[in-house]
Amino acid sequence: MSASLQRGIDAFKEQIDAPVAAFFSSCVRCGLCADACLFYTETGCPTRTPIHKLEPLRRVWQQEYTFWGRYAKAFGLSKPVTDEELEKWETLVYDSCTMCGRCSMVCPVGNDITYMIRKMREGMAASGHAPEGLIGATKRAVTIGSPMGVKLPALQAQIRHAEKDIGLEIPVDVEGADYMLLLSSMEIMNFPEFIGAVAKIFNKAGVSWTISSEAFEATNSGIQIGVSEIAAELVQRIVDAADKLKVKNVISPECGHAYMAIRWEGPNLVGKPYNFKVVHILELLDDLRKQGRLKTTGKESQRLTYHDPCQISRRGGVVEQPRNLIDMIADDFVEMPDSGTMNWCCGAGGGVSSNERADDLRLKVFRRKQAQLDAVKPDALVSACSNCRIHLEEGLEENGMDITVLSLTETLAEHLAED
Amino acid sequence: MSKDQTIGEALRARGVSRRGFLKFCAATASMMALPPSMVPVIAAALEKASRPSVIWMSFQECTGCTESLTRSHSPTVEGLIFDTISLDYHHTLQAASGAAAEAAREAAMEENWGKYILVVDGSIPVGDPGYSTIAGISNMDMLLETAAGAAAIVSVGSCAAFGGIPHADPNPTGALSVRDLLQQYGDRKPDTHSAVYTAHSTDVDVKNKPIINVPGCPPIPVVITGVLAHFLTFGTIPELDELGRPMAYYGKSIHDRCYRRPYYDKGLFAETFDDEGAKKGWCLYKLGCKGPTTYNACATTKWNEGTSFPIEAGHPCLGCSEPDFWDGGGFYKAISTSTEDISRTAVYAIGAGAAAGVALGALNRAKKTRAVKAHQKVGIDDLEKDG
Repeated sequence: MSASLQRGIDAFKEQIDAPVAAFFSSCVRCGLCADACLFYTETGCPTRTPIHKLEPLRRVWQQEYTFWGRYAKAFGLSKPVTDEELEKWETLVYDSCTMCGRCSMVCPVGNDITYMIRKMREGMAASGHAPEGLIGATKRAVTIGSPMGVKLPALQAQIRHAEKDIGLEIPVDVEGADYMLLLSSMEIMNFPEFIGAVAKIFNKAGVSWTISSEAFEATNSGIQIGVSEIAAELVQRIVDAADKLKVKNVISPECGHAYMAIRWEGPNLVGKPYNFKVVHILELLDDLRKQGRLKTTGKESQRLTYHDPCQISRRGGVVEQPRNLIDMIADDFVEMPDSGTMNWCCGAGGGVSSNERADDLRLKVFRRKQAQLDAVKPDALVSACSNCRIHLEEGLEENGMDITVLSLTETLAEHLAED
Repeated sequence: MSKDQTIGEALRARGVSRRGFLKFCAATASMMALPPSMVPVIAAALEKASRPSVIWMSFQECTGCTESLTRSHSPTVEGLIFDTISLDYHHTLQAASGAAAEAAREAAMEENWGKYILVVDGSIPVGDPGYSTIAGISNMDMLLETAAGAAAIVSVGSCAAFGGIPHADPNPTGALSVRDLLQQYGDRKPDTHSAVYTAHSTDVDVKNKPIINVPGCPPIPVVITGVLAHFLTFGTIPELDELGRPMAYYGKSIHDRCYRRPYYDKGLFAETFDDEGAKKGWCLYKLGCKGPTTYNACATTKWNEGTSFPIEAGHPCLGCSEPDFWDGGGFYKAISTSTEDISRTAVYAIGAGAAAGVALGALNRAKKTRAVKAHQKVGIDDLEKDG
């Protein structure tokens, strides 16, 4: 079976629910969402106004579910959504949106535009209008187990390296552990120091933890591309592994959308409550700090600022924790303008980084981050998302900016008190 | 104040901060329903605009409009913008009189022919021109002559816009609004006219001059500054309704924007001015409120720097921004009263509406259920199209 326009329209019809209907009827077309979106502010292109990215979905809602819309459709007064149209919208829905959620924050009538983009992607994917890069990542996630094609032997190799570096054993497949750590492929391949950092901190704090050899991948391409079945399958793998090891908690690592996927969307996707709790690594670290189990020594002399990953701060509510933690190790911490829940997206989330077609665009919209950084001129930029981190490093290099990008967990591990 | 000063310079000289100025621009943009991205455009345009020449004519009027527009308790940006136009002729405000005053008008016309804004308050006596003359010139002649060289005409107040009180039955002076007069007598050459008019009389087309009606008795000050800001920013007149009023300010009825509207919807009315309902602030519909048929910005912009508006003070709306409001048959007479039991009608209406809603809802639910049932699983092999 292949993707088709009809399948896409059917998916739209299926996705439209009471909130979507209420949102579309409430929209007053004020355009405030435009100024909240970095893809609009940095390009000035009016088609990138967030609510406009939903136009085909809105038309299906109007034609199928409203009185006058049905009337207009019956008399040929409104055009049906076409394949050509969806093709045009593909770059708006995938390349020009990171589902960062900033537009939903400013909407004066409270429309959750991001919620609708997520739903619209279901129809886009079913109609064959998902970007090639994201299709590839999704296929790898399902068949290999990771969007970047990382297999278990690669993880095992990185674990061995980490064990050698820190001189500690890293627990794998330990039944009955309190915490099961997930990792994003990017951490495994690009920032393997993260594994060692967590091991060091947990060892000092006496946390009982493990990594599962059956489900270690935290990211979820199904959510980014917009296919709930695939997303559910990927969540189910984690649920099965956690149940098998009988862990009490699952830790979402330094990855934005992984947290959103496993913490917020997951139970709805699999259709039942988890037998375990999901915590973000920063939530756990802040808890350890409060309990006095995480102690640091020395302070960073360089000027630090924190980039709030959208899915962790704005959409996830983990805003205070990173600041408490940075406070332990920073002498000179500055907040960028708009920091916290209104922080600007790095420009690469929501599947944009897996979509090579959007490479130029995501570097272009990095100007927004550049302006934020220029306002406070830090020496180093701390964050808690590997995807942000890779893109931030690329953007900084592209713009000749001499700012180091740090992982909060890794930086804490470096300052871990010996006793 | 130098005529070459831009509005930006003039405001700065009067101590208006950049922040205050931008706030005004943002408020103007939102009132005119322009997107926020237009704020800097408005600011840039106003900043650079040279002060426009304005000729203000008062005909059969009470000076209430001028009072409204010039009165402010502390200098507001609106007030200062208004001050920063080059008001070259205004009966009430100018120091000059007689021949000197008329010479000022002619000089302004000559210097800015085709570019100045003509503001008119008051209606024009056409039946008997003797009711109102200025410097021996009939109002009609003066309007026809001055309109000839105007870029646009702003009819301020209900008298200029619709005829107002002078036009009320039996209209003893034969008063006409500016729009009606130019429509009916636009082809006529004024009997008395100045040398300026003669020099330009070949390219005169007063019938098609853009006219912006800003009715109200009096109109809200910010409406006229908003219209001026729009003109200076875009060089065009704002979008108008069929009565020539800017949609941005006159697009919604008082009723639709009234804070007492929920009481109307619940059927809670004040029956007299001192009953329990009046004390509780219920709807004034039965006391003759013309809010439902009156289009103006009072309920949102309010008066006296946003302090209040008539309904908030407990008095029904008179409908002063609508044509012939004076002849509407009594300010305290309700627009219409229901003969039936209003609450029973409401129950039926709600019942019918709810039934229709339930039926439509059921249809929608059925459609959605069909869509869910028809769902075909999307796997990784279904993400691409064949071929």
